[in-house]
Amino acid sequence: MVSLMETRTAKELAEVASESDVDRKAGARYPGSVRAQGRFWQARWFIVVRAFSVFIGIWYLVALWVASPIQMPSPFKVLEALIALGRTGELFDHALISATRLVISLVISTLIAVPLGFLMAMNREANAFIDPIVELLRPISGIAWIPLGLFIFGVGGTLPIFIMAYVAFFPLLLNTIDGVKSIDRKLMSAAETMGVSRSARLLHIAVPAALPSVMVGFRIAFASAWAAIIAAELIGSPSGLGFAIEWYRQLLMSPKVFAFIAMIGAIGYLCDLGLRTLQHKLTPWAEGMGIGQ
Amino acid sequence: MNVATMPSKAQPKLRLRNVSKEYVAPRTGQRTLAVSDFTLDVRAGEFLCIVGPSGCGKSTVLNMIAGLDQPTGGDIEMDGHHVRGPGAERGVMFQDYALFPWKSVRDNVGFGLRHGTPGAGLTAAERNDRVNHFVNMVGLAGAEAKFPHQLSGGMKQRVALARLLANGPDVLLMDEPLGALDAQTRMVLQVELLRIWGEAAEEGDRKTVVFITHGIDEAVFLADRVVVMSSHPGRVSAVIDIDIPRPRRESIRSEPRFGQLTDEIWSLIRDEAYQAIA
Ligand SMILES: Nc1ncnc2c1ncn2[C@@H]1O[C@H](COP(=O)(O)OP(=O)(O)OP(=O)(O)O)[C@@H](O)[C@H]1O
Ligand SMILES: [Mg+2]
Repeated sequence: MVSLMETRTAKELAEVASESDVDRKAGARYPGSVRAQGRFWQARWFIVVRAFSVFIGIWYLVALWVASPIQMPSPFKVLEALIALGRTGELFDHALISATRLVISLVISTLIAVPLGFLMAMNREANAFIDPIVELLRPISGIAWIPLGLFIFGVGGTLPIFIMAYVAFFPLLLNTIDGVKSIDRKLMSAAETMGVSRSARLLHIAVPAALPSVMVGFRIAFASAWAAIIAAELIGSPSGLGFAIEWYRQLLMSPKVFAFIAMIGAIGYLCDLGLRTLQHKLTPWAEGMGIGQ
Repeated sequence: MNVATMPSKAQPKLRLRNVSKEYVAPRTGQRTLAVSDFTLDVRAGEFLCIVGPSGCGKSTVLNMIAGLDQPTGGDIEMDGHHVRGPGAERGVMFQDYALFPWKSVRDNVGFGLRHGTPGAGLTAAERNDRVNHFVNMVGLAGAEAKFPHQLSGGMKQRVALARLLANGPDVLLMDEPLGALDAQTRMVLQVELLRIWGEAAEEGDRKTVVFITHGIDEAVFLADRVVVMSSHPGRVSAVIDIDIPRPRRESIRSEPRFGQLTDEIWSLIRDEAYQAIA
């Protein structure tokens, strides 16, 4: 990756950059065009590699300057640790545990928040009743519940799931409410003049109309939950990525701590990429309307 | 059903009696009298056009007939029954199309047939045929799989037209349905619209159409009667009988009577039209 950078002169880089600009415009104008999209993706890929290389480079320099493998291990030490942990399978075991907890918590949160959001957006009384409670809880960080959660759930898998579900709940709920409230009344009216029943209007208009906003909420929920998992596992769990970080910190094995941190970043990045793709697949019309992305 | 409410030849299809509509802005409480003292009978099987300056309340009247907006005064009846809310027997084509963004052209046209009362009793194959028929009619064959955001303004308008026609309502309420089309397509669809309405059929077999337009020549070409509205507040300022025989062909546009009627209507709205943009 680094050598790819070095073999290009500044002039070439500038050309690539301006080319990718053109591609992006072309891609925006003809979103369906295969050729424009292919080159667009290549440019995107290059930008990612470039950013990543610069990041690694700075990291390496800082590690040289700090010169303490415990405070700041070099990227190569971390890469070694990653490979070693990958060989023993420890890396993937913990990642799988954390990812499973993430999925469970997101499912729970979605099953509660999305229907509740529909109810609150469509029923004034329900909204008047629930909204104050939501607004009261919302500013309280998920981490604030860890001490109490330790009393209730003890150390184990339940506490991180609870914390993540809690953190994911609010963006999902608020974006669902927002999505349902912003449904174009005209579309409901149009359906009414076609003799479409209330339940069919809910299913075939309210649900798809709110979906782009729900998807945005889901992406934020995922990011918040994934950020919270480490804190939750750090304290309240005998397994998972957060636990592994804390374990190797106590053993003063910084490269392994960093390896797990890198794993968290990689999973988060890849999942968001996946969710974005899913968003494009599920709500292709939303891009044409300027939402999404 | 007693005699008074029985639909008969003498009874109008739609009856608007002193209808008024006042909008009140929710926050400021500011009142806008959009329509006032609007009285009109629409005969069964009639093709009625409404013309008038922008903002005079044409869409408001149409929405009230559709049952989507409640009048603040007066009464609207259909076949002698008070209009309480929207229903599939009064199909609407909206000024801004109101297409479902997540549905393809095909599914937009078939929405009412699939999820609403107009499709009751039809098999899936019959529904499909009907959708195909109207998609072809408005010249959208080949674009069935596209989504609204991939269509031009004129194509969207044709989807909305096909959707209205596919539902086969008794009364067609159309708000500037051909406004976004190029002149050629508009003329083709005007003739097509007259055919669907039942120009060639017995008067009793025709549908009832309320058609809002900005095109005076379009109104004269299509209508049995043209209602001219004036604004502030919106009311009926004149009703012109279009005594040009049917079926109407393109050639009538060059006849003297066509020009006379067009001029007459233009002279009725000219002053207001100039005022509106002054
Ligand atoms: N929801 C609303 N709230 C307040 N005022 C409204 C509302 N809808 C329409 N009006 C007002 O009512 C009047 C009539 O509006 P309407 O849309 O019926 O006009 P129109 O004749 O259809 O105009 P155009 O030809 O431009 O479509 C306008 O002055 C408009 O500002
Ligand atoms: Mg209008």
